[in-house]
Amino acid sequence: MTTQLIGSHLDYIVVVLYFVIVLGFGLYFGRYTASTKDFFFGGQRFSWWLISFSCVATVVGSYSFIKYSAAGFRYGICSTQSYLNDWFWLPITVLLWIPIIYYRKIITIPEYMQHRFDRKTRIAATFIILLYLVGYIGINLVTLGRTLHTLMGWEIMTGATVTAIAVGAYVYAGGQTAVIMTDLIQGVILLMAGLGLFFAGVYHLGGFGEFWALLPTSHKFIFSEFNAPPEFSFVGIFAQDGLANTGAFMLMNQGIIMRFMSLKSVQEARKMTFFWILVLAPLAALAVSGAGWVAKAMVVKGELNTEAGDSFIKVAHFLCRPGVFGFVLAALIAALMSTADTLINAVSAIFVNDVYHPYLKPGADDQQCLKVAKISSLVAAGLGLALVPIFARDTLYGAHAMFTAAVTPPIVMVILMGVLWRRYNHTAAFATMVGGSALVFLSFKWDHALIGPLDFGMGAGSYKFMRALFGLIASGVIGVAVTFLTRAQPLSRIAGLVAGTQVEAMRQFKGGEPNRRIGKKAGLMVKIDVALSEADIALVPRAALDKMAAESGDLLYACHSSWWYGGLRSVHLKAGGLAAEEGVLHISPAAASSANFSEGQQILLEKII
Amino acid sequence: MDMLRVWPIICQFGIGAVLCGAGIWGGLKGGYLNLKVQQDRNLLTAITVGYVLLLITSCVFTFFAPYWATGGAQ
Repeated sequence: MTTQLIGSHLDYIVVVLYFVIVLGFGLYFGRYTASTKDFFFGGQRFSWWLISFSCVATVVGSYSFIKYSAAGFRYGICSTQSYLNDWFWLPITVLLWIPIIYYRKIITIPEYMQHRFDRKTRIAATFIILLYLVGYIGINLVTLGRTLHTLMGWEIMTGATVTAIAVGAYVYAGGQTAVIMTDLIQGVILLMAGLGLFFAGVYHLGGFGEFWALLPTSHKFIFSEFNAPPEFSFVGIFAQDGLANTGAFMLMNQGIIMRFMSLKSVQEARKMTFFWILVLAPLAALAVSGAGWVAKAMVVKGELNTEAGDSFIKVAHFLCRPGVFGFVLAALIAALMSTADTLINAVSAIFVNDVYHPYLKPGADDQQCLKVAKISSLVAAGLGLALVPIFARDTLYGAHAMFTAAVTPPIVMVILMGVLWRRYNHTAAFATMVGGSALVFLSFKWDHALIGPLDFGMGAGSYKFMRALFGLIASGVIGVAVTFLTRAQPLSRIAGLVAGTQVEAMRQFKGGEPNRRIGKKAGLMVKIDVALSEADIALVPRAALDKMAAESGDLLYACHSSWWYGGLRSVHLKAGGLAAEEGVLHISPAAASSANFSEGQQILLEKII
Repeated sequence: MDMLRVWPIICQFGIGAVLCGAGIWGGLKGGYLNLKVQQDRNLLTAITVGYVLLLITSCVFTFFAPYWATGGAQ
């Protein structure tokens, strides 16, 4: 990357303004956080569109603009092939994983491990995932520090410290709600900036026809060749990104799981996943790669001179006026911050749920856990910051990459086999996790012997990518072998946690038989009823129940009638008795307070299950 | 036909079909994905249409689009 200041004062004012706005925005939403459910899941109330956009900011990671623009410059449109695999994971995600974690109220991956397998597997997963996440926060902060060093001339540690304080502060104040709301604006900004840059470049070159004609033919294939070049072959990218990393993203990314759990219902999670994979992920792929393609076309045309690694910044600087360039820089920082905040919130969730509550203070009430969650967010940011000087020297950076490569395939296989295969048991899961990781670690020492047979003739240059395939196969073989050598867990022990038992999970969630009849939303007016003793019980008019195809005892969701709140002002309720007046919903003062509803508020009511 | 360009499509959509199939099987088993319900039928249709669209896009950008215009460098 370029190592001198390249913007104007106006650009830096825009960047600083952006920092201030995001910080203020995040801190503002602190007022919506009153419990651990709010802190970790934003009160489980949000709409699909809001979470979709916030997920884009999380998916587009700290290095995405630089990395994918560089790949686009070197290899062409096949730089998007990493983003084209999500669709294949969609059925497993929406039909198995989301209903299982949502209806069984799973907070963290290690918690799933205990419910599905045993305590030993949970402890191993807690240790591995915490180590991975804290290291990843450090890497994000280093990347941010380096970016700010390049853009603004700050020392790496200064940039990392400013960001850690800003992100730590708003996560501390607002938890998941602050993360979602800041990531929403960051997601929109980075999509606008990336796509804007691409289309501005195409316009500058004279339109799509000219842009396409300027690209070398080798840059116009959606996939790279099957086994060439070794450092960007299809099979290597597919094994690493399509199988291991996308699987990890859908199944073991604690930040994404918390987003799924922040949605108001499983139906909403389906919509969110579809919209995200079908619309936003391809747009994100275009946004992060487009500058590299434009840079290549401009180099061919003789208008630009750049290396692949500089292509994003050089194209942005070439095409943008002062101020607009600052907006693009803000998008780059948005990509960095939005990943860091998600990781910090995820560390906090795992620490409270898998360390503090079960081991350090088992009797802790929700307010104590909330306090610890907030403090652990700051500690996570601090730990990440402490790693910056070490990662900046590139010593532990490589070790963390090695650790991630070693543990990701085994954990993906454990969750995948755990949700798909009833026979797969706790002994097999532990063996898969430990044995699979050990074998991948060994592959760093004996790479030729272990990965060589899977390299499709590409040689040592491909081992970095093919290690993922080796890890998946080795973990899978261990898992299957140990499963057949040991006894299965009884089905009653794993009901609601494995394929074929999702309806049982729904029963457990509702505390009764799920009502799956299709209904419509009912528009009603709120009446705050002090006589309602239980906080979540609501009295609903007969006509509204009929419209929703709901019955007494069903779980309902009431939200502000203005869609653009995205669920921020909403509450989950349970249908109690019938309301006497038509068009009026009776709710308790506690429910009204939780939803920020006032007397006479117009709301929309719908049946969840 | 350049098989180095064809194998990626076979590999991606072959393994992709296995993953999709595993998810759909897991949904149908136990009745969570209930094909008597309109919403669930729509979901299955959307998954299939998405898969086919992705396949068509991949074929277009493998067999046709690269040759629509001559590039500035090879």
